[in-house]
Amino acid sequence: MNIVRTTLDGIYNLLLGMWTTVKYLFSHAITLQYPKERWPMPERSRGVVALMTDEKTGKLKCIACEMCVRTCPTAAITMEPETDETGKKQRYPRVFEVDEGICIFCGLCEEVCPVKEKAIKMVNLYEFSVYAKKELIYDMEKLTRIGKGFK
Amino acid sequence: MLELERLFRAVYLWLEKIFGNLGIPHVWFDLFTMLLVAGVILAVMSIAAMFLVWWERKIGAHFQVRFGPMRTGWHGWLQLPADGIKLILKEDTTPAAADKPVFLIAPIIIFVASLLAYVCLPFGKGLIVRDLNIGILYILAVTTFTVVSILMAGWGSNNKYSLLGGFRSAAQIISYEVPLTLSVLGVVLLTQSLSMVKIVSAQEHVWTWNIWKQPLGFLIYLTAAVAEVNRTPFDIPEAEQELVAGYNIEYSGMKWAMFFFAEYTNLVLVCGVAATLFLGGWNGPILPSWVWFLGKTLFLIWVVMWFRWTFPRVRVDQLMSFGWKFLLPLAFLNLILTGLFA
Repeated sequence: MNIVRTTLDGIYNLLLGMWTTVKYLFSHAITLQYPKERWPMPERSRGVVALMTDEKTGKLKCIACEMCVRTCPTAAITMEPETDETGKKQRYPRVFEVDEGICIFCGLCEEVCPVKEKAIKMVNLYEFSVYAKKELIYDMEKLTRIGKGFK
Repeated sequence: MLELERLFRAVYLWLEKIFGNLGIPHVWFDLFTMLLVAGVILAVMSIAAMFLVWWERKIGAHFQVRFGPMRTGWHGWLQLPADGIKLILKEDTTPAAADKPVFLIAPIIIFVASLLAYVCLPFGKGLIVRDLNIGILYILAVTTFTVVSILMAGWGSNNKYSLLGGFRSAAQIISYEVPLTLSVLGVVLLTQSLSMVKIVSAQEHVWTWNIWKQPLGFLIYLTAAVAEVNRTPFDIPEAEQELVAGYNIEYSGMKWAMFFFAEYTNLVLVCGVAATLFLGGWNGPILPSWVWFLGKTLFLIWVVMWFRWTFPRVRVDQLMSFGWKFLLPLAFLNLILTGLFA
């Protein structure tokens, strides 16, 4: 009678397995259709570096203090303040470049920025792959544009 | 109601009239209608195979809480036409060391064998190509050619994996043919006929379906049929982890597509035969007969796919001992009980 018990036990287990899988068949798929749907990014997620603009004046918030340049661990930030005729440094940048290719997304530049509500920020843009390394060096115009898109 | 057999009859009579008016001998007309019917079956089966591949991918995906193909067309329904075009355009390579004639003929044999069996499958009331009085015997005999083809493919490829796959497949199909035939014999005993049409006519109402009289026979048939068409949990001939892809590893392009086509037509065939023998075939209320047959077949195919996405693959020795030491005595028991009590 051992074979009968083994058989019935086997049939029970097979049915149990089928019941388990059929429950999954009628549950909703958990796949996210990536390019169409996206996960909402967490508020403090760190993506691409961007320069923020003052909404009132429409100018960059940056005061060219070079704190971010000094603190950047990979020296991804290059910045030159504007100078007047006498060679005196002005309180806004002339050149501002960030090499996103060597940026390690540590967020130190944002942390160290003395400007109220931060002039340099890591926005939650994370899809910025390009075909050439050169294109990863973002100039001031591009950084401003990204900053405008991500408040 | 949409009764297909009336449409076919009308087309047949119309063609007969045209041929009669043109004064062409009746032999040519017969030949022409034969070719026409074969073409229709081929077309239906191609569509069925394409649909089933899509359906299998979708169902498998949903069993795994995924979506499956979604991008090409609505829910990916254009995926299969796209794949078909790809397969036709693909380079058809033959390995240098292959036994070329055998390699070439193998997919043709499996293709023809899988189509030949449809001669005797009743798709609906009056929708049968030829109601042979040995119908079920014919189907069982013709489907055996699959073994020859798979063995040829395995041998002709000159590849150790495909050879192993071919051997395994031959051993498996021959082993499971025996309980399959014995489980079919139970139905034949009840009906006292081998003709598919008579078997269906004997199960007019739901309570006269053979599944109520032959529950054990139905289970044996389904198990053996899953093994016959080399599907999980009995897919050891193409066990991906051990044999890469089994007997069809060296095939590419259209030849590979023929194996794939045959695999799905055989799946439709075994499920269609199961629906005919045990689930009353085309019988059912209100809806046209072919819809009932299609529905029952699709349900059985879904069950077989359900097996695939639930059960793990058995080992070769487990497969053999299960077939010979368990399924075969059970099939004999079923036959003896049927003979005693029917």
